[in-house]
Amino acid sequence: MPPGDLNDRRPRAVRAIALTLVGACLLASGCATPYEWRHDNQWDSRTQIWLAEESQVKLRAAQSRVFDTTDRGRAIEAIVATMQDLGFMVEVLDEELGIVSGKKFEPLERPSVGSDPFYHLYNDQSLLIFTKSYRTWGPFWHRSDLVRLTVTVRKRDESQLVIRASAQYYLRAVEDPIPYQKFFRTLEQALFLQAQSMHP
Amino acid sequence: MKTGAVWTGVVVVAGALLMPGCVAPRPTQDLLAPTEAQMKLRSIQTRTFEVKDRQLAMRGVIAALQDLGFIIERANEPLGLVTAARFAEPNYYDVVAVTVTVRQETAERLTIRANALYNNKPIDDPKVYQNFFATLERSLFITRQ
Amino acid sequence: MGRWGQASACLLLAIQLVGCATPTGPTELFQLTPESTRARAMQTRLFETKDDTELLSASAAVLQDLGFQVEETAHDAGFLRATKERSAREYGQDITRALVAIVTIPLALFRSGPVILPVDLHQKIAAVLIARPVNPDSTRHEVRIMFYRVVWKGDGAAGESAIPPGMQSMEMLRDPVMYQQFFAKLSKAVFLEAFTL
Repeated sequence: MPPGDLNDRRPRAVRAIALTLVGACLLASGCATPYEWRHDNQWDSRTQIWLAEESQVKLRAAQSRVFDTTDRGRAIEAIVATMQDLGFMVEVLDEELGIVSGKKFEPLERPSVGSDPFYHLYNDQSLLIFTKSYRTWGPFWHRSDLVRLTVTVRKRDESQLVIRASAQYYLRAVEDPIPYQKFFRTLEQALFLQAQSMHP
Repeated sequence: MKTGAVWTGVVVVAGALLMPGCVAPRPTQDLLAPTEAQMKLRSIQTRTFEVKDRQLAMRGVIAALQDLGFIIERANEPLGLVTAARFAEPNYYDVVAVTVTVRQETAERLTIRANALYNNKPIDDPKVYQNFFATLERSLFITRQ
Repeated sequence: MGRWGQASACLLLAIQLVGCATPTGPTELFQLTPESTRARAMQTRLFETKDDTELLSASAAVLQDLGFQVEETAHDAGFLRATKERSAREYGQDITRALVAIVTIPLALFRSGPVILPVDLHQKIAAVLIARPVNPDSTRHEVRIMFYRVVWKGDGAAGESAIPPGMQSMEMLRDPVMYQQFFAKLSKAVFLEAFTL
Protein backbone atom coordinates (compact mmCIF):
# COMPACT_ATOMS: atom_id res chain seq x y z
CA MET A 1 0.00 0.00 0.00
CA PRO A 2 1.68 3.24 -1.10
CA PRO A 3 2.11 5.55 1.90
CA GLY A 4 0.57 8.39 -0.11
CA ASP A 5 -2.92 7.03 0.73
CA LEU A 6 -2.64 8.10 4.38
CA ASN A 7 -1.92 11.67 3.41
CA ASP A 8 -5.25 11.98 1.59
CA ARG A 9 -7.68 14.32 3.32
CA ARG A 10 -10.81 12.14 3.39
CA PRO A 11 -9.35 9.03 5.07
CA ARG A 12 -7.70 11.32 7.66
CA ALA A 13 -11.05 12.91 8.51
CA VAL A 14 -12.66 9.48 8.70
CA ARG A 15 -9.88 8.28 11.00
CA ALA A 16 -10.38 11.30 13.25
CA ILE A 17 -14.13 10.66 13.48
CA ALA A 18 -13.54 6.98 14.18
CA LEU A 19 -11.09 7.74 16.98
CA THR A 20 -13.46 10.30 18.49
CA LEU A 21 -16.30 7.80 18.44
CA VAL A 22 -14.17 5.15 20.10
CA GLY A 23 -12.96 7.71 22.63
CA ALA A 24 -16.54 8.78 23.36
CA CYS A 25 -17.60 5.16 23.84
CA LEU A 26 -14.73 4.58 26.23
CA LEU A 27 -15.49 7.75 28.16
CA ALA A 28 -19.15 6.85 28.50
CA SER A 29 -18.36 3.39 29.76
CA GLY A 30 -15.39 4.51 31.83
CA CYS A 31 -13.40 1.42 30.89
CA ALA A 32 -16.12 -0.83 32.27
CA THR A 33 -15.81 -4.59 32.16
CA PRO A 34 -18.72 -6.79 31.06
CA TYR A 35 -19.33 -7.65 34.71
CA GLU A 36 -19.84 -3.97 35.43
CA TRP A 37 -22.08 -3.52 32.41
CA ARG A 38 -24.45 -6.00 33.99
CA HIS A 39 -25.01 -3.62 36.89
CA ASP A 40 -27.65 -0.92 36.48
CA ASN A 41 -26.19 2.53 36.11
CA GLN A 42 -27.72 5.65 37.61
CA TRP A 43 -26.77 9.16 38.62
CA ASP A 44 -27.24 8.61 42.34
CA SER A 45 -27.10 5.10 43.76
CA ARG A 46 -29.00 6.21 46.85
CA THR A 47 -32.20 6.31 44.80
CA GLN A 48 -32.19 2.51 45.08
CA ILE A 49 -33.00 2.85 48.74
CA TRP A 50 -36.52 3.92 48.06
CA LEU A 51 -38.70 1.83 45.82
CA ALA A 52 -38.38 2.86 42.20
CA GLU A 53 -41.01 0.69 40.58
CA GLU A 54 -43.53 2.45 38.37
CA SER A 55 -46.57 0.80 39.78
CA GLN A 56 -46.27 -0.39 43.35
CA VAL A 57 -49.95 -1.23 43.34
CA LYS A 58 -49.64 -3.58 40.36
CA LEU A 59 -46.58 -5.24 41.80
CA ARG A 60 -48.28 -5.73 45.15
CA ALA A 61 -51.26 -7.32 43.41
CA ALA A 62 -48.99 -9.65 41.44
CA GLN A 63 -47.09 -10.70 44.56
CA SER A 64 -50.08 -11.25 46.87
CA ARG A 65 -52.83 -13.83 47.05
CA VAL A 66 -55.78 -14.26 49.39
CA PHE A 67 -56.54 -17.69 50.89
CA ASP A 68 -59.78 -18.74 52.62
CA THR A 69 -58.21 -20.03 55.80
CA THR A 70 -57.09 -18.72 59.15
CA ASP A 71 -54.69 -21.56 59.89
CA ARG A 72 -51.42 -19.65 59.74
CA GLY A 73 -49.35 -22.61 60.96
CA ARG A 74 -50.55 -24.77 58.10
CA ALA A 75 -49.93 -21.98 55.61
CA ILE A 76 -46.37 -21.60 56.84
CA GLU A 77 -45.74 -25.34 56.64
CA ALA A 78 -46.97 -25.32 53.06
CA ILE A 79 -44.74 -22.35 52.24
CA VAL A 80 -41.70 -24.09 53.71
CA ALA A 81 -42.49 -27.24 51.73
CA THR A 82 -42.84 -25.19 48.54
CA MET A 83 -39.56 -23.42 49.14
CA GLN A 84 -37.86 -26.75 49.69
CA ASP A 85 -39.33 -27.94 46.40
CA LEU A 86 -37.82 -24.89 44.73
CA GLY A 87 -34.42 -25.57 46.23
CA PHE A 88 -34.36 -22.56 48.54
CA MET A 89 -32.53 -22.91 51.85
CA VAL A 90 -34.96 -21.57 54.42
CA GLU A 91 -33.21 -19.22 56.83
CA VAL A 92 -35.92 -17.24 58.55
CA LEU A 93 -38.94 -19.02 59.92
CA ASP A 94 -41.16 -17.15 62.34
CA GLU A 95 -44.70 -18.34 62.89
CA GLU A 96 -45.76 -15.54 65.24
CA LEU A 97 -44.77 -12.88 62.74
CA GLY A 98 -45.72 -14.98 59.73
CA ILE A 99 -42.39 -14.65 57.89
CA VAL A 100 -40.55 -17.26 55.83
CA SER A 101 -37.38 -16.27 54.01
CA GLY A 102 -34.78 -18.24 52.11
CA LYS A 103 -31.96 -17.97 49.63
CA LYS A 104 -30.50 -19.83 46.74
CA PHE A 105 -27.45 -19.36 44.54
CA GLU A 106 -27.86 -19.34 40.79
CA PRO A 107 -24.38 -19.66 39.22
CA LEU A 108 -24.55 -16.57 37.02
CA GLU A 109 -21.14 -15.02 37.49
CA ARG A 110 -17.58 -16.01 36.90
CA PRO A 111 -14.57 -13.67 37.15
CA SER A 112 -13.26 -12.56 33.80
CA VAL A 113 -9.68 -13.30 34.77
CA GLY A 114 -8.04 -15.60 37.25
CA SER A 115 -9.24 -18.72 39.00
CA ASP A 116 -12.34 -18.71 41.10
CA PRO A 117 -12.41 -20.41 44.50
CA PHE A 118 -16.00 -21.48 44.61
CA TYR A 119 -17.46 -19.58 47.53
CA HIS A 120 -20.90 -20.97 48.16
CA LEU A 121 -21.40 -20.39 51.86
CA TYR A 122 -21.66 -16.72 50.96
CA ASN A 123 -22.68 -15.20 54.23
CA ASP A 124 -23.20 -11.56 53.50
CA GLN A 125 -23.41 -10.67 57.15
CA SER A 126 -19.92 -11.88 57.87
CA LEU A 127 -18.58 -9.50 55.24
CA LEU A 128 -19.78 -6.42 57.04
CA ILE A 129 -16.73 -5.29 58.88
CA PHE A 130 -16.82 -1.93 60.54
CA THR A 131 -13.85 -0.29 58.90
CA LYS A 132 -13.77 2.50 56.39
CA SER A 133 -12.40 0.23 53.73
CA TYR A 134 -11.61 -3.42 53.62
CA ARG A 135 -10.77 -5.68 50.77
CA THR A 136 -12.35 -9.05 50.48
CA TRP A 137 -11.42 -11.58 47.83
CA GLY A 138 -13.25 -14.54 46.55
CA PRO A 139 -16.94 -14.24 47.12
CA PHE A 140 -17.08 -10.92 45.34
CA TRP A 141 -17.97 -12.27 41.91
CA HIS A 142 -20.78 -14.31 43.40
CA ARG A 143 -22.56 -11.58 45.31
CA SER A 144 -24.88 -11.13 42.37
CA ASP A 145 -25.66 -14.86 42.27
CA LEU A 146 -27.89 -14.58 45.28
CA VAL A 147 -31.62 -15.20 44.74
CA ARG A 148 -33.74 -14.28 47.76
CA LEU A 149 -37.35 -15.04 48.46
CA THR A 150 -39.39 -13.68 51.36
CA VAL A 151 -42.97 -14.78 51.99
CA THR A 152 -45.18 -13.09 54.56
CA VAL A 153 -48.49 -14.37 55.91
CA ARG A 154 -50.88 -11.85 57.41
CA LYS A 155 -54.47 -11.92 58.53
CA ARG A 156 -56.72 -10.10 56.11
CA ASP A 157 -59.95 -10.36 58.07
CA GLU A 158 -61.75 -12.90 60.24
CA SER A 159 -61.75 -15.62 57.61
CA GLN A 160 -58.88 -14.93 55.24
CA LEU A 161 -55.11 -14.74 55.06
CA VAL A 162 -52.97 -12.75 52.64
CA ILE A 163 -49.76 -14.39 51.49
CA ARG A 164 -47.24 -12.16 49.77
CA ALA A 165 -44.09 -13.42 48.08
CA SER A 166 -41.29 -11.10 46.94
CA ALA A 167 -38.14 -12.24 45.19
CA GLN A 168 -34.80 -10.64 44.38
CA TYR A 169 -32.72 -11.82 41.40
CA TYR A 170 -29.35 -10.44 40.35
CA LEU A 171 -29.57 -7.20 42.30
CA ARG A 172 -33.08 -6.40 41.15
CA ALA A 173 -36.55 -7.06 42.50
CA VAL A 174 -38.44 -9.62 40.41
CA GLU A 175 -41.31 -7.62 38.96
CA ASP A 176 -42.59 -10.07 36.33
CA PRO A 177 -45.91 -11.51 37.57
CA ILE A 178 -45.46 -14.91 35.92
CA PRO A 179 -42.88 -16.39 38.31
CA TYR A 180 -45.21 -15.43 41.16
CA GLN A 181 -48.19 -17.06 39.42
CA LYS A 182 -46.23 -20.29 39.20
CA PHE A 183 -45.17 -20.03 42.82
CA PHE A 184 -48.74 -19.65 44.01
CA ARG A 185 -49.87 -22.52 41.82
CA THR A 186 -47.37 -24.78 43.61
CA LEU A 187 -48.41 -23.34 46.96
CA GLU A 188 -52.10 -24.01 46.22
CA GLN A 189 -51.28 -27.66 45.70
CA ALA A 190 -49.43 -27.82 48.99
CA LEU A 191 -52.28 -26.11 50.81
CA PHE A 192 -55.17 -27.79 48.98
CA LEU A 193 -56.78 -24.40 48.73
CA GLN A 194 -57.61 -22.05 45.93
CA ALA A 195 -55.62 -18.81 45.78
CA GLN A 196 -57.58 -15.68 45.02
CA SER A 197 -56.11 -12.52 43.65
CA MET A 198 -56.12 -9.33 45.63
CA HIS A 199 -58.40 -7.58 43.18
CA PRO A 200 -61.71 -9.52 43.24
CA MET B 1 -5.17 1.96 6.11
CA LYS B 2 -8.17 1.78 3.84
CA THR B 3 -11.36 3.66 4.77
CA GLY B 4 -13.30 0.40 4.75
CA ALA B 5 -10.97 -1.17 7.29
CA VAL B 6 -11.31 1.85 9.58
CA TRP B 7 -15.09 1.71 9.52
CA THR B 8 -15.04 -2.04 10.13
CA GLY B 9 -12.84 -1.38 13.11
CA VAL B 10 -15.25 1.22 14.45
CA VAL B 11 -18.22 -1.10 14.03
CA VAL B 12 -16.39 -3.94 15.75
CA VAL B 13 -15.44 -1.77 18.72
CA ALA B 14 -18.91 -0.24 19.04
CA GLY B 15 -20.48 -3.68 18.75
CA ALA B 16 -18.17 -5.09 21.37
CA LEU B 17 -19.14 -2.32 23.75
CA LEU B 18 -22.82 -3.05 23.27
CA MET B 19 -22.64 -6.86 23.45
CA PRO B 20 -25.66 -8.57 25.03
CA GLY B 21 -23.35 -10.21 27.60
CA CYS B 22 -23.20 -6.77 29.12
CA VAL B 23 -26.81 -6.78 30.26
CA ALA B 24 -27.97 -8.12 33.62
CA PRO B 25 -29.42 -11.62 33.35
CA ARG B 26 -33.21 -11.64 33.54
CA PRO B 27 -35.12 -13.97 35.83
CA THR B 28 -36.78 -16.77 33.90
CA GLN B 29 -40.50 -17.32 34.25
CA ASP B 30 -39.74 -20.59 36.00
CA LEU B 31 -37.65 -18.95 38.69
CA LEU B 32 -40.27 -19.78 41.33
CA ALA B 33 -41.61 -22.96 39.75
CA PRO B 34 -40.27 -26.38 40.69
CA THR B 35 -38.52 -28.19 37.87
CA GLU B 36 -39.04 -31.85 36.95
CA ALA B 37 -35.73 -32.70 38.57
CA GLN B 38 -36.74 -31.02 41.81
CA MET B 39 -40.10 -32.84 41.96
CA LYS B 40 -38.36 -36.17 41.40
CA LEU B 41 -36.04 -35.35 44.28
CA ARG B 42 -38.91 -34.82 46.67
CA SER B 43 -39.71 -38.51 47.03
CA ILE B 44 -36.15 -39.55 47.78
CA GLN B 45 -35.71 -36.68 50.20
CA THR B 46 -38.74 -37.54 52.32
CA ARG B 47 -39.39 -40.34 54.82
CA THR B 48 -42.23 -41.04 57.20
CA PHE B 49 -41.57 -42.20 60.72
CA GLU B 50 -43.85 -43.71 63.35
CA VAL B 51 -42.98 -41.20 66.02
CA LYS B 52 -45.44 -39.30 68.16
CA ASP B 53 -43.16 -36.69 69.65
CA ARG B 54 -41.89 -34.04 67.26
CA GLN B 55 -39.48 -32.64 69.79
CA LEU B 56 -37.92 -36.08 70.16
CA ALA B 57 -37.58 -36.37 66.42
CA MET B 58 -35.92 -32.94 66.23
CA ARG B 59 -33.40 -33.94 68.86
CA GLY B 60 -32.78 -37.15 66.94
CA VAL B 61 -32.19 -35.20 63.72
CA ILE B 62 -29.76 -32.84 65.44
CA ALA B 63 -27.91 -35.77 67.03
CA ALA B 64 -27.69 -37.59 63.71
CA LEU B 65 -26.33 -34.50 61.96
CA GLN B 66 -23.76 -33.95 64.67
CA ASP B 67 -22.72 -37.62 64.43
CA LEU B 68 -22.18 -37.05 60.73
CA GLY B 69 -19.88 -34.15 61.52
CA PHE B 70 -22.21 -31.31 60.63
CA ILE B 71 -22.19 -27.92 62.28
CA ILE B 72 -25.75 -26.97 63.25
CA GLU B 73 -26.42 -23.46 61.97
CA ARG B 74 -29.96 -22.99 63.16
CA ALA B 75 -32.54 -25.08 64.94
CA ASN B 76 -36.14 -23.87 65.11
CA GLU B 77 -37.81 -26.45 67.31
CA PRO B 78 -41.44 -25.24 67.34
CA LEU B 79 -41.47 -25.15 63.56
CA GLY B 80 -39.39 -28.20 62.93
CA LEU B 81 -36.50 -26.71 60.93
CA VAL B 82 -32.80 -27.56 61.25
CA THR B 83 -30.03 -26.19 59.03
CA ALA B 84 -26.51 -27.57 59.13
CA ALA B 85 -23.33 -27.51 57.06
CA ARG B 86 -19.90 -29.11 56.90
CA PHE B 87 -16.84 -29.22 54.68
CA ALA B 88 -16.72 -32.15 52.29
CA GLU B 89 -13.58 -33.32 54.02
CA PRO B 90 -10.75 -33.93 53.22
CA ASN B 91 -11.55 -31.35 50.57
CA TYR B 92 -11.90 -28.00 52.35
CA TYR B 93 -13.02 -26.17 49.25
CA ASP B 94 -16.36 -27.90 49.02
CA VAL B 95 -19.23 -27.63 51.40
CA VAL B 96 -22.26 -29.80 52.08
CA ALA B 97 -25.29 -28.00 53.50
CA VAL B 98 -28.53 -29.62 54.57
CA THR B 99 -31.95 -28.35 55.62
CA VAL B 100 -34.18 -30.80 57.49
CA THR B 101 -37.86 -30.21 58.20
CA VAL B 102 -39.95 -32.30 60.56
CA ARG B 103 -43.71 -32.21 60.11
CA GLN B 104 -46.34 -33.90 62.19
CA GLU B 105 -48.65 -35.56 59.66
CA THR B 106 -50.94 -37.26 62.15
CA ALA B 107 -50.74 -37.95 65.88
CA GLU B 108 -48.85 -41.17 65.16
CA ARG B 109 -46.69 -40.22 62.18
CA LEU B 110 -44.34 -37.53 61.14
CA THR B 111 -42.58 -36.71 57.89
CA ILE B 112 -38.93 -35.79 57.71
CA ARG B 113 -37.56 -34.12 54.61
CA ALA B 114 -33.85 -33.45 54.04
CA ASN B 115 -32.64 -31.03 51.34
CA ALA B 116 -28.94 -31.53 50.77
CA LEU B 117 -26.72 -29.26 48.74
CA TYR B 118 -23.19 -29.81 47.50
CA ASN B 119 -21.72 -26.39 46.74
CA ASN B 120 -25.12 -24.88 45.81
CA LYS B 121 -26.15 -27.83 43.66
CA PRO B 122 -28.86 -30.04 45.11
CA ILE B 123 -27.64 -33.58 45.70
CA ASP B 124 -29.72 -35.98 43.61
CA ASP B 125 -28.05 -39.27 44.47
CA PRO B 126 -30.62 -41.42 46.35
CA LYS B 127 -27.83 -43.33 48.14
CA VAL B 128 -26.83 -40.16 50.00
CA TYR B 129 -30.34 -39.69 51.38
CA GLN B 130 -30.61 -43.41 52.23
CA ASN B 131 -27.40 -43.08 54.24
CA PHE B 132 -28.73 -40.06 56.06
CA PHE B 133 -32.02 -41.71 56.97
CA ALA B 134 -30.20 -44.86 58.08
CA THR B 135 -28.13 -42.75 60.48
CA LEU B 136 -31.29 -40.99 61.59
CA GLU B 137 -33.11 -44.21 62.29
CA ARG B 138 -30.23 -45.39 64.39
CA SER B 139 -30.38 -42.10 66.22
CA LEU B 140 -34.12 -42.47 66.78
CA PHE B 141 -33.92 -46.19 67.62
CA ILE B 142 -36.87 -47.05 65.44
CA THR B 143 -37.45 -48.57 62.03
CA ARG B 144 -39.18 -46.65 59.28
CA GLN B 145 -42.72 -47.29 58.22
CA MET C 1 3.61 38.89 48.63
CA GLY C 2 1.44 39.32 45.58
CA ARG C 3 -2.22 38.36 45.24
CA TRP C 4 -1.33 34.89 43.96
CA GLY C 5 1.10 34.36 46.80
CA GLN C 6 -1.57 35.18 49.38
CA ALA C 7 -4.13 33.00 47.64
CA SER C 8 -1.82 29.99 47.53
CA ALA C 9 -0.80 30.51 51.14
CA CYS C 10 -4.48 30.51 52.16
CA LEU C 11 -5.06 27.37 50.13
CA LEU C 12 -2.12 25.59 51.71
CA LEU C 13 -3.32 26.55 55.17
CA ALA C 14 -6.86 25.34 54.40
CA ILE C 15 -5.52 22.01 53.17
CA GLN C 16 -3.52 21.61 56.38
CA LEU C 17 -6.51 22.42 58.58
CA VAL C 18 -8.81 19.93 56.83
CA GLY C 19 -6.60 17.15 58.09
CA CYS C 20 -7.07 18.43 61.62
CA ALA C 21 -10.67 17.22 62.14
CA THR C 22 -10.66 15.69 65.61
CA PRO C 23 -11.10 11.95 65.50
CA THR C 24 -13.28 10.33 68.16
CA GLY C 25 -10.94 9.32 70.92
CA PRO C 26 -11.74 6.64 73.47
CA THR C 27 -13.01 9.12 76.07
CA GLU C 28 -15.62 10.50 73.67
CA LEU C 29 -17.01 7.12 72.77
CA PHE C 30 -20.27 5.95 74.31
CA GLN C 31 -21.30 9.47 75.08
CA LEU C 32 -24.59 10.87 73.92
CA THR C 33 -24.30 13.90 71.66
CA PRO C 34 -26.95 16.32 70.39
CA GLU C 35 -26.73 14.25 67.21
CA SER C 36 -27.94 11.19 69.11
CA THR C 37 -31.10 12.98 70.20
CA ARG C 38 -31.80 14.22 66.70
CA ALA C 39 -31.22 10.80 65.21
CA ARG C 40 -33.44 9.20 67.83
CA ALA C 41 -36.29 11.56 67.07
CA MET C 42 -35.98 10.87 63.39
CA GLN C 43 -35.85 7.11 63.76
CA THR C 44 -38.53 6.51 66.41
CA ARG C 45 -42.32 6.56 66.49
CA LEU C 46 -44.81 5.54 69.18
CA PHE C 47 -47.86 3.46 68.64
CA GLU C 48 -50.77 3.14 71.06
CA THR C 49 -51.12 -0.60 70.94
CA LYS C 50 -50.57 -3.62 73.12
CA ASP C 51 -49.75 -5.82 70.17
CA ASP C 52 -46.04 -5.65 69.36
CA THR C 53 -46.27 -8.81 67.28
CA GLU C 54 -48.66 -7.01 64.97
CA LEU C 55 -46.30 -4.02 64.80
CA LEU C 56 -43.40 -6.26 63.83
CA SER C 57 -45.46 -8.20 61.33
CA ALA C 58 -46.74 -4.98 59.76
CA SER C 59 -43.19 -3.58 59.64
CA ALA C 60 -42.04 -6.71 57.81
CA ALA C 61 -44.90 -6.21 55.36
CA VAL C 62 -43.94 -2.55 54.79
CA LEU C 63 -40.31 -3.48 54.25
CA GLN C 64 -41.37 -6.21 51.84
CA ASP C 65 -43.38 -3.56 50.02
CA LEU C 66 -40.17 -1.52 49.71
CA GLY C 67 -38.36 -4.46 48.17
CA PHE C 68 -36.50 -5.65 51.27
CA GLN C 69 -35.85 -9.31 52.09
CA VAL C 70 -36.15 -10.34 55.74
CA GLU C 71 -32.82 -11.58 57.05
CA GLU C 72 -33.44 -12.22 60.72
CA THR C 73 -36.21 -12.00 63.25
CA ALA C 74 -36.24 -12.39 67.01
CA HIS C 75 -39.82 -11.63 67.93
CA ASP C 76 -39.29 -12.12 71.68
CA ALA C 77 -36.86 -9.23 71.58
CA GLY C 78 -38.96 -7.30 69.09
CA PHE C 79 -36.11 -7.40 66.57
CA LEU C 80 -36.29 -7.48 62.80
CA ARG C 81 -33.56 -7.09 60.18
CA ALA C 82 -34.15 -6.82 56.45
CA THR C 83 -31.82 -6.13 53.54
CA LYS C 84 -32.00 -5.28 49.87
CA GLU C 85 -29.08 -5.78 47.46
CA ARG C 86 -28.90 -3.51 44.47
CA SER C 87 -26.48 -2.10 41.97
CA ALA C 88 -24.43 0.85 43.23
CA ARG C 89 -22.95 1.89 39.91
CA GLU C 90 -22.99 5.63 39.18
CA TYR C 91 -22.46 7.57 35.96
CA GLY C 92 -20.36 10.15 37.77
CA GLN C 93 -17.88 7.51 38.87
CA ASP C 94 -17.64 6.07 35.37
CA ILE C 95 -16.82 9.50 33.98
CA THR C 96 -14.26 10.19 36.71
CA ARG C 97 -12.64 6.85 36.04
CA ALA C 98 -12.37 7.51 32.34
CA LEU C 99 -10.85 10.95 32.93
CA VAL C 100 -8.34 9.61 35.45
CA ALA C 101 -7.42 6.83 33.05
CA ILE C 102 -6.81 9.31 30.26
CA VAL C 103 -4.83 11.67 32.48
CA THR C 104 -2.60 8.90 33.84
CA ILE C 105 -1.76 7.40 30.45
CA PRO C 106 1.68 9.09 30.55
CA LEU C 107 2.47 7.01 33.65
CA ALA C 108 2.70 4.04 31.30
CA LEU C 109 6.27 5.15 30.73
CA PHE C 110 7.05 4.28 34.34
CA ARG C 111 5.10 0.99 34.20
CA SER C 112 2.55 2.56 36.59
CA GLY C 113 0.31 2.62 33.57
CA PRO C 114 -3.06 4.24 33.26
CA VAL C 115 -4.75 4.12 36.66
CA ILE C 116 -8.20 2.54 36.46
CA LEU C 117 -10.07 3.43 39.62
CA PRO C 118 -12.38 0.84 41.15
CA VAL C 119 -15.99 2.02 41.11
CA ASP C 120 -18.90 1.20 43.41
CA LEU C 121 -20.73 -1.82 42.07
CA HIS C 122 -22.81 -3.53 44.69
CA GLN C 123 -24.70 -2.16 47.65
CA LYS C 124 -26.58 -3.80 50.44
CA ILE C 125 -29.20 -1.54 52.00
CA ALA C 126 -30.17 -2.77 55.44
CA ALA C 127 -32.95 -1.85 57.86
CA VAL C 128 -32.80 -2.82 61.52
CA LEU C 129 -35.97 -2.41 63.53
CA ILE C 130 -36.80 -2.80 67.22
CA ALA C 131 -40.27 -2.65 68.75
CA ARG C 132 -40.45 -2.34 72.51
CA PRO C 133 -42.96 -1.34 75.19
CA VAL C 134 -42.46 2.08 76.78
CA ASN C 135 -44.84 1.90 79.70
CA PRO C 136 -45.21 -0.71 82.45
CA ASP C 137 -48.50 -2.18 81.20
CA SER C 138 -47.22 -2.34 77.59
CA THR C 139 -50.10 -0.38 76.13
CA ARG C 140 -47.72 1.80 74.19
CA HIS C 141 -44.90 0.57 71.98
CA GLU C 142 -42.05 2.39 70.35
CA VAL C 143 -40.72 1.37 66.96
CA ARG C 144 -37.18 2.44 66.09
CA ILE C 145 -35.68 1.77 62.70
CA MET C 146 -32.19 2.44 61.35
CA PHE C 147 -31.24 2.37 57.70
CA TYR C 148 -27.67 1.91 56.58
CA ARG C 149 -25.90 0.69 53.49
CA VAL C 150 -22.71 -1.17 52.70
CA VAL C 151 -21.10 -0.55 49.31
CA TRP C 152 -18.52 -2.70 47.57
CA LYS C 153 -16.24 -1.61 44.74
CA GLY C 154 -15.18 -3.59 41.73
CA ASP C 155 -11.64 -4.15 40.59
CA GLY C 156 -9.20 -1.72 39.05
CA ALA C 157 -5.61 -1.42 37.92
CA ALA C 158 -2.63 0.75 38.65
CA GLY C 159 -0.59 0.08 35.56
CA GLU C 160 0.58 -3.48 35.72
CA SER C 161 -0.59 -4.26 39.24
CA ALA C 162 -4.25 -5.11 39.61
CA ILE C 163 -6.40 -3.68 42.38
CA PRO C 164 -8.49 -6.57 43.71
CA PRO C 165 -12.26 -6.15 43.88
CA GLY C 166 -14.32 -5.98 47.04
CA MET C 167 -13.22 -2.81 48.80
CA GLN C 168 -16.12 -1.97 51.04
CA SER C 169 -17.43 1.14 52.72
CA MET C 170 -20.44 1.76 54.87
CA GLU C 171 -22.79 4.66 55.30
CA MET C 172 -25.47 5.41 57.87
CA LEU C 173 -28.51 6.84 56.10
CA ARG C 174 -29.74 10.03 57.70
CA ASP C 175 -32.29 11.37 55.25
CA PRO C 176 -35.33 12.30 57.40
CA VAL C 177 -37.75 12.01 54.48
CA MET C 178 -36.95 8.29 54.20
CA TYR C 179 -37.92 7.67 57.82
CA GLN C 180 -41.07 9.80 57.54
CA GLN C 181 -42.21 7.81 54.55
CA PHE C 182 -41.52 4.51 56.26
CA PHE C 183 -43.58 5.43 59.29
CA ALA C 184 -46.40 6.81 57.14
CA LYS C 185 -46.59 3.43 55.44
CA LEU C 186 -46.34 1.59 58.74
CA SER C 187 -49.18 3.46 60.40
CA LYS C 188 -51.34 2.79 57.36
CA ALA C 189 -50.44 -0.90 57.50
CA VAL C 190 -51.28 -1.23 61.15
CA PHE C 191 -54.70 0.39 60.80
CA LEU C 192 -55.64 -0.95 57.37
CA GLU C 193 -55.96 -4.62 58.12
CA ALA C 194 -58.29 -4.99 55.16
CA PHE C 195 -55.51 -4.44 52.61
CA THR C 196 -57.64 -2.20 50.37
CA LEU C 197 -55.11 -1.43 47.64
